Amino acid sequence: MRTRPNQSGLHPTKSATSRGPRAYGIGLLIGVLAFVAVVQVRSQAEVVRSLEGQDSTALAFLIDDLHRANDALASDAAMLGTRRDALRGGSNQEADAQLNAEAGQLRVIEGLVAVHGPGVVITVDAPLTPLDLQDAVNTLRVAGAEAMSVNDHRIVTGSVIRLAGDGITVDGTAARGPWSLSAIGEPTRLAGAADQMTRSLRDDPRVRHADYRSESDLAIRSTVVQRPFVYGSA
Amino acid sequence: MTVRRTGAYVLVAVTALAFGFLLATQIRTQLLVPGNQVARTQALVRTVQDLEKVNSDYRSQIAGLRGEIDNLEGQAAQRSDATRRLQDEVAGLRAHAGATTLRGPGVTVDLGNGRPGPDQPGKTSYLVNFEDVQDLVNLLFEGGAEGIAVNGHRISPLSSFSGSTGTVVIDQGNPLSSPFQVVAVGNRNQMEQQLSDPSTLGDLRNRQHQFGLALDFRGSPDLTLPAADSALSTSFAHPS
Repeated sequence: MRTRPNQSGLHPTKSATSRGPRAYGIGLLIGVLAFVAVVQVRSQAEVVRSLEGQDSTALAFLIDDLHRANDALASDAAMLGTRRDALRGGSNQEADAQLNAEAGQLRVIEGLVAVHGPGVVITVDAPLTPLDLQDAVNTLRVAGAEAMSVNDHRIVTGSVIRLAGDGITVDGTAARGPWSLSAIGEPTRLAGAADQMTRSLRDDPRVRHADYRSESDLAIRSTVVQRPFVYGSA
Repeated sequence: MTVRRTGAYVLVAVTALAFGFLLATQIRTQLLVPGNQVARTQALVRTVQDLEKVNSDYRSQIAGLRGEIDNLEGQAAQRSDATRRLQDEVAGLRAHAGATTLRGPGVTVDLGNGRPGPDQPGKTSYLVNFEDVQDLVNLLFEGGAEGIAVNGHRISPLSSFSGSTGTVVIDQGNPLSSPFQVVAVGNRNQMEQQLSDPSTLGDLRNRQHQFGLALDFRGSPDLTLPAADSALSTSFAHPS
């Protein structure tokens, strides 16, 4: 009985030296295998996790939006490039013309002047909330509205639509239904958005009437008064 | 002894083979079965990433061109009083359109995704959506904001909010995702009051309690908003 331990201890050095490299090799192999497996599983899981909530349809819409956005930015960059090149000529006449043109555009964007152009008029007879109106305004902006009004109140970013007592105020002025939303912009996209919006509204039992019409030359006469900066400075 | 050792090796080899096969099958079942779908989605994601890069490049280009134009107009203004008056007028309009930086007191609001509810699988109410950001921006304007930026993106008079689950797209920008930081310059006290009022941002506050959405704010005496780098031109609306 004692021989077994003795036997096993007969060549301790030889046994250790013969098994050592093999054991290290196997250990190393297992380690590498485990590392590769973990990396593979983690990277695969990472991809899946990063795509969580982003199905192909959502990504396709995103691609469509980005294409449209990039087209708009490219057009803007090209226009600015042309302006810069013209200004490089050093002519004050050119500078004045450009500044006048930009001032005109900014007055339109900021709602400081009456405007006209192709667009849609949406009419809704329903007890809309400020949130409903804010959502409608945003939906039209997403569809490319460049100028808007709600019941003849000009709407710009920063316009405050809020609940006041039983009614709604738009920039401090009382407004009540039936509602009329006018938007000037790319006519096809605006019509599509208006169509979708009115269809969805008609499914709501609170809505007595919801419709829209496209106009080739719609006028928005209301304007806003520019509020001077009180707290901020450029 | 040799036969036994060979048998042991064969056994280990067969076991390892079987284990490897089972492991591969398991991984394929769990992760690679939707491999085609993942590959398709990855291709779409790559397209999105490429378009986002183009988008960022255009924005940088626009910002650079605006700077150059500003310099050239400044040089022209030095040569003529009429040009200088025009330039001053345009500078004011640009500032109100968000086309220049804006500095002043204000608030910074942090908005972040919560955790999915255990009994609501598939629901995305725990994610911040574009309506949340839109509501917050509207509230800040109501509270006296004179300028706002979301994740460094300045809100302009043409700004719009859209997006799919968990992403927010502002104007022609790249999709933004949580966490969001909304910085507003303006009437700091009034904005802080609005943000402290539990009757505001109803949906967001409900989901804050339900799913742990982050909604924190802090006032600051000096904040700076970047200039808008999106298109600020109209093609269809013309002055009457």
